[in-house]
Amino acid sequence: MSILDKQNDLPAFRQAVRGWLGDVVPSGWKARMASASNDEFIAFQRWWMAERSKAGLAIPHWPKDYGGAGLSLRHLIVIADEIARADAPQARMFTISLIHLPGTLFPHGTEAQKRRHLAGVAKGDVWCQGFSEPNSGSDLASLRCRAVRDGDHYVINGQKIWSSYSMYADWCILLTRTDPDAPKHRGISYFIMDMRSPGVEVRPIRQANGRSEFGELFLTDVRIPAENMIGRENDGWRVAQATLASERGVIAFEGAERQRYEIEAFYRRALASGAPWLRDDQLRREFVGFLAEIQAGRHLLRRLLEENERPGASASVLPSIVKLSGTALRQRICSFMTRIAGVDGQAFAMLAEAPFGSPMFEFMGAFTGTIAGGTNEIMRNIIAERGLGMPRV
Amino acid sequence: MATTASETAGPPDQATLDALRDGVAGVLAEQSGSTAVHAFIDGKRPLDRDLWSQAASLGWLGFGIPDEYGGLGLGARGLAILHAELGRQAAPGPYIATLSAAQAVADAGNDSIRQAWLPRFASGEISAAVPATPGSAALAWSGQAVSGTLRCLGAPDAGVLLAPVADAWVLVELAGADVTATPMWDPTRTVIDIRLQQAKPAALLDDGAGAALTRAMALAVAADSAGAARSITERTIAYMKTREQFGQPIAGFQALKHRAADLATKLAVADEMVAHAAERAAADADIWVMLAKAEVTEAAVFVTTDCVQLHGGVGFTWDFDPHIFLKRARLNEVLVMANPVLRDQAAAGLAAVTQAGRSALELEP
Repeated sequence: MSILDKQNDLPAFRQAVRGWLGDVVPSGWKARMASASNDEFIAFQRWWMAERSKAGLAIPHWPKDYGGAGLSLRHLIVIADEIARADAPQARMFTISLIHLPGTLFPHGTEAQKRRHLAGVAKGDVWCQGFSEPNSGSDLASLRCRAVRDGDHYVINGQKIWSSYSMYADWCILLTRTDPDAPKHRGISYFIMDMRSPGVEVRPIRQANGRSEFGELFLTDVRIPAENMIGRENDGWRVAQATLASERGVIAFEGAERQRYEIEAFYRRALASGAPWLRDDQLRREFVGFLAEIQAGRHLLRRLLEENERPGASASVLPSIVKLSGTALRQRICSFMTRIAGVDGQAFAMLAEAPFGSPMFEFMGAFTGTIAGGTNEIMRNIIAERGLGMPRV
Repeated sequence: MATTASETAGPPDQATLDALRDGVAGVLAEQSGSTAVHAFIDGKRPLDRDLWSQAASLGWLGFGIPDEYGGLGLGARGLAILHAELGRQAAPGPYIATLSAAQAVADAGNDSIRQAWLPRFASGEISAAVPATPGSAALAWSGQAVSGTLRCLGAPDAGVLLAPVADAWVLVELAGADVTATPMWDPTRTVIDIRLQQAKPAALLDDGAGAALTRAMALAVAADSAGAARSITERTIAYMKTREQFGQPIAGFQALKHRAADLATKLAVADEMVAHAAERAAADADIWVMLAKAEVTEAAVFVTTDCVQLHGGVGFTWDFDPHIFLKRARLNEVLVMANPVLRDQAAAGLAAVTQAGRSALELEP
């Protein structure tokens, strides 16, 4: 009997997911991945996606017509919760494939695009996002990467940046400028680009935490078939809103659940070993304050996921509130971990035990939360203007 | 509106609570708006008395009291809603003291004590006084009578005091007692000094009353703070949209927008802390109510302080609202127990729960 056969009995479904994770998640995967080469990372990500696929849990939230299981939000919460509880791998490399691509194609793609590309995701296609440019970050709509029609193709020239895992990607969802004379929001078109097309060059960006998860795309006379446009010509900004809105807390939910288990494991170890910070009044008080914020954040995320199911959810600024509060909290927690680790925590090597085995690594990594996906300053603009009705001047 | 809830058995569902919140909010918005509160503060209107009789007739005073004693049995979640709405309108009156004392009696009293007292609280016949910081001092107990002085939260005409003696708690009727009101910066609640000499307690409760009182007060104060902070933030943003400088509404300046967004985010987190504390009120060694009181009252002081500042000059005037909420937030911050001590107690509770092999962080039952 498969896991999906138990979907009508939520506790049994949870037990089945838990059992599957217990069987499939290899012990010590985290330590291995901490020092893995790029090839090992990719192989591991592909293996994990294949295992999820075998269990029917690769794309469980998609409609059955497109190969999904049509599972409800409550099931997704159970899956994410159990994955976090088991400390199972994240499907990092497949974030765009699993969330942003369907979030875009379901509302705006042609039937042919959906049939072809959604099927590929279940088979392990890696997608990346070609949105930001060196001169178009927070001001995304000012993007300049050009697409010029040439017969039944468009020819692309320009540069993209901050494209996660683009070094390993098969496909790219790409924003281009098709009308440089129109107002900036009205001259943008949205394409599906084959990353193996001639003229696509990817260079990894070395990050401040030593990793290279993002790539820079250099596009020189890349030819994209016109049928690969999503939506109408010059209507790409509207389509992009669906992409940008597609995440709405799903990744953050799993992240918050993981953080809860990390913090608990950290605390249990501190208690067992009589960690000195527990005897420091200020540090101990700071720590218990984090717990209240962690619980509040988990409640907020559940509220957000419920809200997503209701009509009109796209007008809510709760995703921005969740991102702003959650990523700032993560930064403060990582800062705390760094302070209590002393000089040892500044050594480049991992400390003996995870979680927070390398507090500086986590602290440096926390900037991906506060900067990526719209900086927290952009979140504040959104909360103030759309949520609080403060005027744009 | 509130009476229908008494028909529900078991914990109230979310729809019931939402309807109650709307009902309470509607009445308070009408009765305890800015003009009414300013008139009260300036001694021109007995808003506290008017609201008290309104609250009694609408069943608010029985929100947390079990049905069989004349209440609505709405539990901690219902009480959190009521206190948040009272905070929103800076409603004057001895609600935190009375409703929290009622919870302590409901939790720690035997049936005859409950029968004797809970209907009187639910009907509004008497209000209660409780120590402003319940753990800080106790009355002397001769075995027959109590003596001593306590600084209490409560109205000058409070009918009964709930107070600690050595290892128990007593209810003492206050008719004819020496009660002095202390003028406070917060104009919407009253603190009184009660002097008792050989007063005979009306009832004796075990030490569980102290924990129950502290828990109920912590939740009430946290909820009141969250409501007060949200309300003044909304009023402040509304003001910023009308106040023009440099030829535009100041709400258009990005520096101020970002401050407002941060306040809104703090409020969203604070609301969830209160909701979580109400859900887990008596569980996990009271960790979550203690943390909610510490975190939310400090957030409310931050928010209300910023609301004075965001108003500019008028924020420093008596006639505008921000100072009322700031003063309410500052009193809330120091009630119940000092916040660092609450955090220490929460940490001790967390250690105990963890060492017992349990998790204090489960959300799903």
